[in-house]
Amino acid sequence: MNMGRSTRVGALATLLLLAGCAGSPGSIYVPVGGGTGSTSEPPPPPRLPPASPEPEAPAPAQVPERAPSPSYRESGDTLSPAALSLVREADRLLAQGRVAEAITRLERAQRIAPRSAEVYFKLSEAYVQANQLARAEQFTLKGLSLAGNNTRLQRAGWLLLADIRRARGNVAGADQAEARAAAL
Amino acid sequence: MAKSKTPPPSPRNARTRSRAGFWRLFFRVSAVGLVLLAGWMVYLDAIITSRFEGRRFEVPSRVYARPLELYDGASVSAAALERELALSGFRQGDGVKPGSYRRRGGQFWISTRGFRFPDGQEPRRRLTLTIAGDQVVDLRVLAGEASPIVRLEPAQIGGIYPSHQEDRILVRLDQVPPLLPAALMAVEDRHFYEHFGLAPLSIARAMLANLKAGAIVQGGSTLTQQLVKNFFLSQEQTLARKANEALMSLLLEWHYDKDDILETYLNEVYLGQAGTRSINGFGLASQFYFGESLAGLEAHQIALLVGMVKGPSYYNPRRHPERALKRRNLVLSEMEEAGLISAAEANRARGLPLGVSERPSYSENRYPAYIDLVRRHLARDYREEDLRSEGLRIFTTLNPSIQYAAEYAVRDTVPRLATGEVRDALEAAMVVTAKDTGEVLALVGGRDPAFAGFNRALDAERPIGSLIKPFIYLTALSHPDRYTLITPVRDQSFVLEFDDGRRWQPKNYDGEEHGEVPLHRALAKSYNLPAVRTGLDLGVDAVAETLQAFGVTSPISRYPSMLLGSVSMTPVTVAQIYQGLATSGFNTPLRTIREVTDAQGEPLSRYPLEVDQVADPAAVHLVQYAMQEVMQEGTGRSAYYTVPRQLTLAGKTGTTDDGRDAWFAGFSGDLLAVAWVGRDDNGPTSLTGATGALPIWARFMASLPQHSFSPVVPDGVSYHWVNDERQALTGEHCENARYMPFITGSEPEQHVSCSGALERRIRSWFEGLFQ
Repeated sequence: MNMGRSTRVGALATLLLLAGCAGSPGSIYVPVGGGTGSTSEPPPPPRLPPASPEPEAPAPAQVPERAPSPSYRESGDTLSPAALSLVREADRLLAQGRVAEAITRLERAQRIAPRSAEVYFKLSEAYVQANQLARAEQFTLKGLSLAGNNTRLQRAGWLLLADIRRARGNVAGADQAEARAAAL
Repeated sequence: MAKSKTPPPSPRNARTRSRAGFWRLFFRVSAVGLVLLAGWMVYLDAIITSRFEGRRFEVPSRVYARPLELYDGASVSAAALERELALSGFRQGDGVKPGSYRRRGGQFWISTRGFRFPDGQEPRRRLTLTIAGDQVVDLRVLAGEASPIVRLEPAQIGGIYPSHQEDRILVRLDQVPPLLPAALMAVEDRHFYEHFGLAPLSIARAMLANLKAGAIVQGGSTLTQQLVKNFFLSQEQTLARKANEALMSLLLEWHYDKDDILETYLNEVYLGQAGTRSINGFGLASQFYFGESLAGLEAHQIALLVGMVKGPSYYNPRRHPERALKRRNLVLSEMEEAGLISAAEANRARGLPLGVSERPSYSENRYPAYIDLVRRHLARDYREEDLRSEGLRIFTTLNPSIQYAAEYAVRDTVPRLATGEVRDALEAAMVVTAKDTGEVLALVGGRDPAFAGFNRALDAERPIGSLIKPFIYLTALSHPDRYTLITPVRDQSFVLEFDDGRRWQPKNYDGEEHGEVPLHRALAKSYNLPAVRTGLDLGVDAVAETLQAFGVTSPISRYPSMLLGSVSMTPVTVAQIYQGLATSGFNTPLRTIREVTDAQGEPLSRYPLEVDQVADPAAVHLVQYAMQEVMQEGTGRSAYYTVPRQLTLAGKTGTTDDGRDAWFAGFSGDLLAVAWVGRDDNGPTSLTGATGALPIWARFMASLPQHSFSPVVPDGVSYHWVNDERQALTGEHCENARYMPFITGSEPEQHVSCSGALERRIRSWFEGLFQ
């Protein structure tokens, strides 16, 4: 591993912890019954629509003026305090060179915060340390897919990707990633 | 002389000679007998030592569910938490004693026992938390190491047993509460540490004790003899058998020291039956009858287990509580007499109830379909005999709450889907995975989830019908220069003529044709003709390659009919390929196992999270838009009869000819689920994906708290207001305006203004003012 990469990964670590604290709306959480009804289980039996050919369902009783449109959002989730505590534990383990243990912490964090780019960048960092660069590259890409319009995360992700690609001998890919980072 | 030299045999001589002959014969027979006996002893010795050595190490593997992780914001309902606690062996109590919990309304107090996970020890803790809106809030650790996140002990969901179906939890003599071996010896074998395997005197003493007590409280055979008897399942009481037992007992004592024999006895003795499995040893018996580890047992519980040695089914405390209580109190008196407990302790203990848990805290493969998949995954790395005997600990990804919801949805919905013969023939399967980890959370292999038969989730290969369409359009949308979500595609029939003269004329499900429709609507409404036209335009090979990239490993026959889903897959394979659609183009291999450790908890293998980008996230984002439209305006919208409106979902229906297969595959922000309904004989039904599989899927989704599906807009995608009929940009408040994603550069260039919607536009100008 070259010097440049380690410093960059280190800088990334700091950035991630900062980013983890920045606020942004999380995903919409819907309790059973949409939060209006009771949450008793097992749920009441379903009301089945009458059998009809496909396409089948009759229009709902209340037709909204415009159909509810498909949902999207501009950025992924931020790390919850629980996930952040696991990421910090992983950081301590990584600093001690205990990569395998760090990865188990990060996978726990990923299960808690599966839509946060930071977790995937961290996993990438761990796999870089384990010298499994192909995996590291994939986790960086996954993190980038969740970075949304957060330019700090985007830049961190593209630079990380550039380093990993360079280390894998993919110079063109590295330059491309670097250019993406520079364009932000 | 010659005569005298050879006198005729005198009677005396004859007698002498015959006596000598007798002795010679006697010695010969004895010698042969001794040799035979020695041989027999060697034979017995070989048997007993191999049994002794072998049996001690044959321990089934244990399969655990995923542990429930508690932290602020964790999604779990109060009912689900309570069920989860029960599965993990917690009992309602004061919430202070380890293994107990208390609930008041939404607030819980939980006292964990601690557990050794592959990644380290989860310490004992006392904690409190509140469930509000199906989420954990205000989690606090009251005692024990502070942490913002706590793992409960995982529920044991099954085992992989030795072929003789014995189950045990190994204990070491130095871990056992000392009262147990002491009580055992007081009742069964007072001179265990002195005798040589047999104790003729104690037989007499036992008879005396029995007379005194007016009942049989002591048996004559030593623990060593009992152990030998236990090694052989046959209970016949012939003299030969008794003699063999005695010989083997001597041999055992000769080979091994007393502690070794005692420890093996503690792990070997038969203490009950759970279905086909036998409960062997005190370690498992303690779990089985009290739901607690041996170390936590009190005097009255130890007395009950010791008392049961005499007749585990006769004194079964669940079936014959009075008998068991009488027997236990007798043992307590014996313990008192032997000075093991004080009179006061004995009195108090005799007054206590049996303290047996209601049902075995641990039930036999409750989830046969899921365990089936776990075993297949294990078979890649482990030999069957090791799984059966090495006491491995297998940590799976099963989520009991989600499994419960999936089973409920299948069991409750399938009988309502049809009537008469078709209803009785209907079968179903369901696969649920965690959207971003690929962990298989639940698996249902048939309409009766408890039945361990044909596992349809893994083995029913059926044509997937319209489930293929997202992959056709994904292939198309990966060429933004040729296709966007508003590209008009023709819904008009055509005939394909093959070289050999055969003709193929695909049709829409309802036989109608809709002319030119925008691509997104063709997918949402699942029109067949545009899908086939688009697929043929791209080439069957291109679509097949997309499917392979997303995880199809079996060969795909590359006929045009493939574009209508003639390709067959199992529900698990469908879950695998939809994973990539749900995660913006990242193939995430499905996993059921996180870790395997040996009996001591040392890690053997880990199955880490893997992701592999197989498609452009931008193109997948467009498909996700249309798959949400399926739920809101298309063939999947009846889901919202059951599911709350706020829960945004994406999915796709699939139906094959004559309703032979009804599919639904889709996802929320957290979960991906695939449901299949059909008949094992592949017969027709009147069902479609929407009327057969979707009701199960929707029932399932509605019963779990979760996050809405709301994908992050990937790099290179921008949203625009467009008029999809005219393929043009338009104003937000125009009629027919839709806010749609485009791969940057592929958005339409021309702009249409709308004059006809003035009223709405005026209203919109004021909207901001009054909100």
